[in-house]
Amino acid sequence: MADSKYQQVSELVDKARHGNRNSTDQLVMLFHEDIFRMVYYRTRSRMDAEDLTQEIFMQMIKSLPGLKKTSRFKSWLFRIALNRIKDFYRKKSILNFFGTSTEVDESYQEISQNDDDPIDKLMRKEFWEQFRQFTEGLPRWEREVFILRFADHLGIREIAETLKKNESTVKTHLYRALKKFRQTPGLHDLLKGGVP
Amino acid sequence: MKSKTIHLDEDQLIWSVVDENDLAPAVRNHLSSCPVCQERKRHFEQELNNLGNMTKAFSPLPREKPVPVVQIFRNWLRPAFVSGFALVLLIMGIWWSSPFPVSQENRMTQAVGEMEDDSQLVVEIRVVEEYALPDLYMDIAGESYGYFGDEFLEFVVPLEENQIRSTGSARPVRLIHLIS
Repeated sequence: MADSKYQQVSELVDKARHGNRNSTDQLVMLFHEDIFRMVYYRTRSRMDAEDLTQEIFMQMIKSLPGLKKTSRFKSWLFRIALNRIKDFYRKKSILNFFGTSTEVDESYQEISQNDDDPIDKLMRKEFWEQFRQFTEGLPRWEREVFILRFADHLGIREIAETLKKNESTVKTHLYRALKKFRQTPGLHDLLKGGVP
Repeated sequence: MKSKTIHLDEDQLIWSVVDENDLAPAVRNHLSSCPVCQERKRHFEQELNNLGNMTKAFSPLPREKPVPVVQIFRNWLRPAFVSGFALVLLIMGIWWSSPFPVSQENRMTQAVGEMEDDSQLVVEIRVVEEYALPDLYMDIAGESYGYFGDEFLEFVVPLEENQIRSTGSARPVRLIHLIS
């Protein structure tokens, strides 16, 4: 199943590299939500995530002819996304330095369609608060590896390609992050119930 | 037999989730045959799966659908074309609605004015040719001949015909006059 998806993506990438716009559109459709969510986990703002997602796909379309290994498309795309997010934070810190940032709140803002349900809303808020506390407590690489592995659902090899690190380094970061995760009671309790 | 009774410790359990193949063969063998350790591992993995599912479920969906590539380029090209066209129109508008339009009549007036200026300039040039310096500067330059009238000049440099008639020899007379 996964192999056929990889095969499909590779074919689309190959066609898109050679200027097939339909294949490019399909690739955008295929990864749009993944990339949006990936950005959202890191920016905590829907609006910023939407803007950055557009920029990431523009960058993807521009750089696609230069991609050598079609099998590495996903990690390549995630790498573009991570770089864009890094740029975003760099700009933001400059704006903050000059006091021109328009940021209102850093918590995970306005979420899903069920905003009317107060329990759902409360649970979401609690979850994101715990998630934020845990991930912010991790060193940079441990945090990145942990989120890529369990929130973005990338494999060890894909994470290694995305971060341009070797697999054993990725595993070590992941091991350390998981050890800290096991020692964090707040998030554990929330996860026991799973998705309501 | 002993290996079956010693369960995976916390570190080994975590490594089994990171990558089971990285465990020592003995530990891996134990894990494959121990239902307790398998259950602990499964439980831990389930928690992590829940984490992934909850991050996904509690994330918003993008409000905008992905824009097809053709549309993206159209969106970029159209504003560029429209703004370019508007700029050309603006430049042309400024050019044609200039605050100082040059009509045929104005051109004639301008030409006549230029001719007057030219003739005035020619007059000034002629004056300068005749009186290269103002009188004051002529004195300083020692080139003012205001005191020397025709009579004086005739006295200093008499015309040849006058010379012959009066003395028959011009040069000595002049010298005598100058000495006296």
